[in-house]
Amino acid sequence: MPLSDQQRQQFDDLVKKSRVVLFMKGNKHFPQCGFSAQVIGILKETGVPFETVNVLSDPAVRDGIKEYSSWPTIPQLYVDGEFLGGCDIVKEMYAAGDLQKKLGVVEKPVAPPAITLDERAAKAIKDADEGNGEHLRLEIDEKFQYELYFGPPQAGDIEVVASGVKVLFDKASAKRADGIRIQWVDTPDGGAFKIENPNEPARVKSLTVTELKAWMDEGKPFELIDVRGEDERNIAKLDRARALDAAGEKHLLALDKKTPIVFQCHHGSRSRSAAERFLREGFTNVFNLEGGIEAWSQKVDSKVARY
Amino acid sequence: MAAIEETMKAAILEKIPGATVQVAPGSGGGHFTVQVVSPVFEGKSMLESQRLVLGAIAHLMKGDGAPVHAIDSLKTRTS
Repeated sequence: MPLSDQQRQQFDDLVKKSRVVLFMKGNKHFPQCGFSAQVIGILKETGVPFETVNVLSDPAVRDGIKEYSSWPTIPQLYVDGEFLGGCDIVKEMYAAGDLQKKLGVVEKPVAPPAITLDERAAKAIKDADEGNGEHLRLEIDEKFQYELYFGPPQAGDIEVVASGVKVLFDKASAKRADGIRIQWVDTPDGGAFKIENPNEPARVKSLTVTELKAWMDEGKPFELIDVRGEDERNIAKLDRARALDAAGEKHLLALDKKTPIVFQCHHGSRSRSAAERFLREGFTNVFNLEGGIEAWSQKVDSKVARY
Repeated sequence: MAAIEETMKAAILEKIPGATVQVAPGSGGGHFTVQVVSPVFEGKSMLESQRLVLGAIAHLMKGDGAPVHAIDSLKTRTS
């Protein structure tokens, strides 16, 4: 349906409400579609201030902007009132440096990251190289999820050679890759790449009950926290586990932030939430006891009551 | 090729006669990847080229129950 003059005028104003306006699904904190999230990621990389319009909150805007831009998909990026394009185009412009020019930002050159490839990883990559001109690419997204694959070189790529293997990074990935180590490790189904990255934010790590038992046996220093309430603790508990009551909470918050802390509950779900919370408090060595006290009873010590 | 992919292809060919059009399933239901080769893109920017193709299938992407949700990748080439 064509837009009325009045609607057209409204969009003329909307696309100019800020220098950079992104029409997207969701908002910049919670993008609700992968394409919108990618554009948000790029805009954040450039460091320019931008406004977003959530098309999901108004069907008239959602349909209207498609008509106004003659562009059937969301997201849509406007700079200085001019339509630049959707996700593909923005990605390509960013890689080539054209987006930065348009936005008037001077991009600091990205230093090639220092990377280490162990011998077996290098061999696995060389064996997989089909010699068809494609190179190994490593992409690291803002959640530190990794994609390692062979692909064609792209504009703006940053090239690093390690152990005789050429690895290509796009700019955003390169910034997240400094100090990275790529290994080849044995797995039940043959082997896999393992990536260690010092730039990764801290995450809750998984601990099995057998690993916990080994920690106890070797006398490793760590804190064990039982997040269950008193009634459940009265049925069954691990000897050295401290309750997460007011006193326990106080005790934890006074500890060095690097102290290994293991959270435990009945099955491993409530303890994960507690572990996430302490991660946000700044603790960096946080573990969740997978399977909880139930798994402990089944695999380590059957004298601990099940319920 | 599924019916919707045929419909997309026909719509693109109607707008860009003589083009070589490939439509393939993308990352999920209603997602597709599209490649179009035609001299008509000569001298056009990526935006203009994509707009030409997307304009041809816009009617299939409209509304909540649209058969085409997203184009994961759209490549336009002149040869």
